[in-house]
Amino acid sequence: MAGTRSSLKRKAPPAEAVVETAFHSDDEEFGDGLLEGVLEGDSDDSSDDDGDDADIDEVNADLENEEEDALESDDIPTDEEDADGKNAAEADDGPKYRIETDANGGTRYVYEDIVPDYDSDDTDAQEPVNTIGNIPLSFYDSYPHIGYSIDGKKVMRPARGEALDALLDSIEVPKGWTGLTDPATGKPLNLSQDELELLRRVQMNEVPEEGYDPYADTIEWFTSFEEPMPLSAAPEPKRRFLPSKHEAKKVMKLVKAIREGRILPYKPPEEREKDEEEEEQLFDLWADEQQNPPNIDRISAPKMAAPGYDQSYNPPPEYLPTEDEKKAWNETEPEERAKEYLPEKYDALRRVPGYDQFVKERFERCLDLYLAPRVRKNRLNIDPSSLLPKLPRPEELKPFPTVTSIEFRGHEGRVRSLAIDPTGMFLATGGDDGTVKLWELKSGKQMDSIKLSSDEPVDAVRWRPGKDASILSAAVSEDIYFLVPSYIDPELHQASRDVLDAGFGYATHSQQLMTASGARKDPPAKWTRPGTRLEDQGVLLKATVRSPIKVIHWHRRGDFFCTVSPSGQKSSVAIHTLSKHLTQIPFRKLPGLAQTAQFHPSRPLFFVATQRTIRCYDLQKQELVKALQPGARWISTFDIHPGGDNLVVGSYDRRLCWHDLELSNRPYKTMRFHPEAIRAVKFHRSFPLFADSSDDGSLQIFHGKVTNDLMADPTIVPLKTLKGHKVVNKLGVMDIDWHPTSPWVVSAGADGTCRLWT
Amino acid sequence: MGRLRKKGQAGAAKNYITRSQAVRKLQITLPDFRRLCIWKGIFPREPNNRKKANKSSTASTTFYYAKDIQYLLHEPLLQKFRDQKVLEKKISRALGRGDVGDASRLERNAARPEKTGRPPYTLDHLIRERYPTFVDALRDLDDALSMLFLFANLPSTSSVPAKMIAKCERLCLEFQHYLIVSKSLRKSFLSIKGIYYQATIQGEDILWLVPYKFNQRVVGDIDFRIMGTFVQFYMTLLKFVNFRLYNSVGLVYPPKFDQTRDESAAELAAFTLEGTHTVMTDTPKQLTSGESDQAPDPATQEAVNKLIKKMKETDVDGEDKAGTADDADKEDEPTDAIDKFEPSAPGGDILPQPTDTGSDTGTLFANCTFFLNRETPRQPLEFILRAFGCKRIGWDAVLGDGAYTTNEQDPSITHQIVDRPIIQAAMEEDGNAEDNQTSQKLASNQRIPGRIYVQPQWVWDSANDEELKRPDLYAPGAQLPPHLSPFVQNVHGGYDPTIPLEDQEPEGEALEDSEEEEDEEEEGEDDNSLAVKKVETPVNDMDVAETDEEEVDDDDDEEPGPFGGFSEGEDDMEDDDEEKEEDEEDAELAYQRDLIAELTGQPASQKASENPRSKAKAEARKKLSAQAKDEAEEMERARGMLSKKKRKLFDQMMYTNNKKSAEDEKLRAKRRKLEKQKARKPVA
Repeated sequence: MAGTRSSLKRKAPPAEAVVETAFHSDDEEFGDGLLEGVLEGDSDDSSDDDGDDADIDEVNADLENEEEDALESDDIPTDEEDADGKNAAEADDGPKYRIETDANGGTRYVYEDIVPDYDSDDTDAQEPVNTIGNIPLSFYDSYPHIGYSIDGKKVMRPARGEALDALLDSIEVPKGWTGLTDPATGKPLNLSQDELELLRRVQMNEVPEEGYDPYADTIEWFTSFEEPMPLSAAPEPKRRFLPSKHEAKKVMKLVKAIREGRILPYKPPEEREKDEEEEEQLFDLWADEQQNPPNIDRISAPKMAAPGYDQSYNPPPEYLPTEDEKKAWNETEPEERAKEYLPEKYDALRRVPGYDQFVKERFERCLDLYLAPRVRKNRLNIDPSSLLPKLPRPEELKPFPTVTSIEFRGHEGRVRSLAIDPTGMFLATGGDDGTVKLWELKSGKQMDSIKLSSDEPVDAVRWRPGKDASILSAAVSEDIYFLVPSYIDPELHQASRDVLDAGFGYATHSQQLMTASGARKDPPAKWTRPGTRLEDQGVLLKATVRSPIKVIHWHRRGDFFCTVSPSGQKSSVAIHTLSKHLTQIPFRKLPGLAQTAQFHPSRPLFFVATQRTIRCYDLQKQELVKALQPGARWISTFDIHPGGDNLVVGSYDRRLCWHDLELSNRPYKTMRFHPEAIRAVKFHRSFPLFADSSDDGSLQIFHGKVTNDLMADPTIVPLKTLKGHKVVNKLGVMDIDWHPTSPWVVSAGADGTCRLWT
Repeated sequence: MGRLRKKGQAGAAKNYITRSQAVRKLQITLPDFRRLCIWKGIFPREPNNRKKANKSSTASTTFYYAKDIQYLLHEPLLQKFRDQKVLEKKISRALGRGDVGDASRLERNAARPEKTGRPPYTLDHLIRERYPTFVDALRDLDDALSMLFLFANLPSTSSVPAKMIAKCERLCLEFQHYLIVSKSLRKSFLSIKGIYYQATIQGEDILWLVPYKFNQRVVGDIDFRIMGTFVQFYMTLLKFVNFRLYNSVGLVYPPKFDQTRDESAAELAAFTLEGTHTVMTDTPKQLTSGESDQAPDPATQEAVNKLIKKMKETDVDGEDKAGTADDADKEDEPTDAIDKFEPSAPGGDILPQPTDTGSDTGTLFANCTFFLNRETPRQPLEFILRAFGCKRIGWDAVLGDGAYTTNEQDPSITHQIVDRPIIQAAMEEDGNAEDNQTSQKLASNQRIPGRIYVQPQWVWDSANDEELKRPDLYAPGAQLPPHLSPFVQNVHGGYDPTIPLEDQEPEGEALEDSEEEEDEEEEGEDDNSLAVKKVETPVNDMDVAETDEEEVDDDDDEEPGPFGGFSEGEDDMEDDDEEKEEDEEDAELAYQRDLIAELTGQPASQKASENPRSKAKAEARKKLSAQAKDEAEEMERARGMLSKKKRKLFDQMMYTNNKKSAEDEKLRAKRRKLEKQKARKPVA
């Protein structure tokens, strides 16, 4: 009974022990009671059969008694000790099993539980460890136990004192009491004397182990004592006994240096400072200067601006700021001021104060020098007026037509086309009523009226160029009529007739065109006499082509003319030779519908406008020279400048494009001044003017000057909008023409009138 | 297909490098990098396309040329910086260990690196690198001089050591000595900021600013470390420049420096110049002649002066010759002067040759002896007088050492510079009582006969105009004429205060002016003719209205609309109509005026006489305005024909031109007003 002995040894404070035992015994009794119930049940069953139980009962009674003894005497009644007590008792008292009768009446050995102890094999297990795991103990509040041991046995709740006992406890604390509860057992955690001593040592920074001497004497395993037997038997060398020559040399060097004054053993401190000052060496840095090649990357810093008059201490009075300026200067932020100083006047030099921003300005300059990115900027030092183009003065732009001077009335329905004859005396018009009317331009008198067709409109009237004859061509549907006015003087009349008749002879002599199969090919045009009625009226010749003609344009020599009939598929463009009564179809195929065509005014070039492009063909080489793209959707008309290098295109989508043929395929200028489609564009033959007419009922006159200088761009100046024609059925001005010599323009309106603008 | 080109591998992305990248590449600290940049003259660049240079990042950064930074990598100073860093680490470690002796030894060793085998770093090679030729260095001397002169006038602080200030001062004084000897100072200007000087050395104009001798106010956050870095460089630069300049005039550099005299504020006189030849030795004596010396006569002084100029000339008869005319001298010199090319036969073109005008600027004050009153600024006066040839300058003893004489009554004094008001008789005694600290024995208002008293501005104006100005304009207490900047080059059409107003104002302004005058005259003439004035004022108003109307018309014409044609004829007609109307109105007004005159009982003839004059003026004005209008219209039309780009450029130019001309106009208006006031004052 080691446990009891040890407990007996202790001078236990009785009160504690009593409390503990009280708890213990209660629990024990309770637990025993349970067990006893079982056992009693058993025994009740078995008592009838066997009397051996008495022994066991005795043993039990012994045990219990003994236990109670121990409890009474022992101050620390731990389970261990209880177990110890039991084991000891069992070990002492006899067999480790008891014999019971089982249900069948056979004997059954019931062994005692093996209590792990130092005696047993399992040395590590100390006490029943609660295995409930990491759950709060409060779950077991309503039970007498607090969990289960590894064997599945209930771990009983340790005994707790009542309030009075607790009070007593607080008055007298037992030795080793910590007030902590061991979470594993639920019992109060007490520390033994040894443990307390250990803690004390740790706390006092002592070596935890008792009796350890940190300053023990070292044991010299290897000693400095000379062994009696040397390792080498060589004798001591002589040099060990001689003074070093090398050292002597070194010393002598030092001595010599000191004697010579090369080394100063001591230097006064002020001398040293002087040394520092005289360290600068001076030499001509630029003795062998050579210019570096200029580097574009090196941008030298801009110099500070030289001071102006207003920086003077005594400036002229007009440089002094007024009160308002002073106020404005003071109110602006220092960064936003145009000048960082205010001019001021001092009547004497002695009154001039120090400039308080001096250091700041220098500092800012320093910052600029190393922080500001330097950029080379080209300052344009030119007169701004040299940038402006030389525009003609409005007076120089004159003359140009401004007002309607004559109105020509007579047509019924629209006037489709008109033309002024090369002499500039007469005007020919053709309209929807199928008549061609001739007017005297200056008076507005109708000279003649010839009805060419009763149902078809006259689509185009054009005079043959040249003053040797006076021939008017008019297009009515598929027919082209050539007429010679009756009012002209007989000589001219005869000459004109001759021109028209010359072709008849040629036509009869010429061979007929034959197809490959030998059949007679249908000629592109038939040249005939128009019939006596018309011949009496002066219409002398008629040419009929395959499809209705919309445009006639004469070559400058008056021998060729071209016609365009947009609906005429392959033969839409035809070139006719008046002197031979010959018609040729130059293009078998055209990209798009041909709209209009023109001869170049001086060179053998031929321009054909399709819907989108204008193509320029060389008639001699028979090849495409150029294709202009004005950018319009549907070209309505175009005209070539008499100089031959520029071209104006009008389109149904309200654009007027000026092309420079030398420059590009794209327009040089595009003008969009009309709200409606443009119907006609014409250059004046001698003045730098051109005009266009539109469905909005207006004409616009432009100044378009072309110089011979290749470098100079043409100047285009809008001049005048001429309004007067009425818009009928969304059609305004159908055609215009310029007077060959005067700055006059005539226009043909859809309202059945023609106007002369001067 | 060629190889795919990655973004950011070539072009701007490679050519530019941000500052932090540069610092990282060089492995130095930012302050070291800054120092290196300042000394090497490397500055940030503005890439054409920031986004490309910054690899599409939009953060605002400073860019450097990658080549510049690459070139910094080979800089020997970089290694020195690293060594310095190592040394600092060693010292701080020694101090941390408490090993003060070790630390001080390390520091001492660093202070005299030649003893420890480590050469000190100098900026000599940088100067040669940045300025491959001497002229390059001179070109960049503006900032250097301004900075050094400022530092020479600063108080010493922890960031600006006294040694540095002393060095700056010495270098500046040495440079001034060179200017005096070589007579290369050209212009000087007293501004509110300080004194500007301009010198021409080897054809380079150098302009620098020297602050007035006041304690400099240090405002705001000024980093003296940055300025110190600059000054360090500039000191080295000026040292070598001075050396070369001194050598070029045959002087020994550095000149002998007398510490004791410097301490007694001798400034320029603390230096003794030495020639490389023996002849030169006597000239400095003259330069720094103390008060004990007798006044040397001007002729010999001039001779000495000549000697300085022609260093090599050592022959004995030089002194005799010196008295003779300049022309004779010129003939003797075979090398310096330009030969005059005269056309030997007619028909050849005449080539312009520079005339030798530089020589007489150096002798402007040669025959004068100055005395500076104690209230005048001694240093700038001494410098400018000496630079323009004056040899004998005396001043009051309180102004420091080195004066030719401190005795105000010295009979050799020809000019005395005074900067104090004329003191009334009552104040005289007080003035005398104060004077006991100075050597001045004269009563403050007393004048010595035979001497010219002038204010300091006289010296500056005389030097700038290269002629001695009329001293009566600059007499003490007189209203000084304006001090004009000699650096302004007047452009044609700009305002010039030296030319009378009538010569430079445009016609329109002159007319307006005269009209105003007339108004004022009328005001002065008869106060009771208010009614007339009331009638007159509406005329002006109507004029204004008319112009407005016309403008509106113009606008209508030029509206972009569908198409603006030219209705010039109509316009003209309108104009004519208006003019007619105006005439009618004028007639009406005249009639009204007559009526009023009759009522008031004044003779109507006077008005009649006045009428034609005003009428003529009004007509002139009308004509002028019409002309201006026409011109503006014309310009507007032409401007419309320009392409957008050109129009922008044109507008910018016009903006700047207009701004300039507006400023000029303002100045003219102010001056006109002032002149009128002045004219009226005597009447009133």
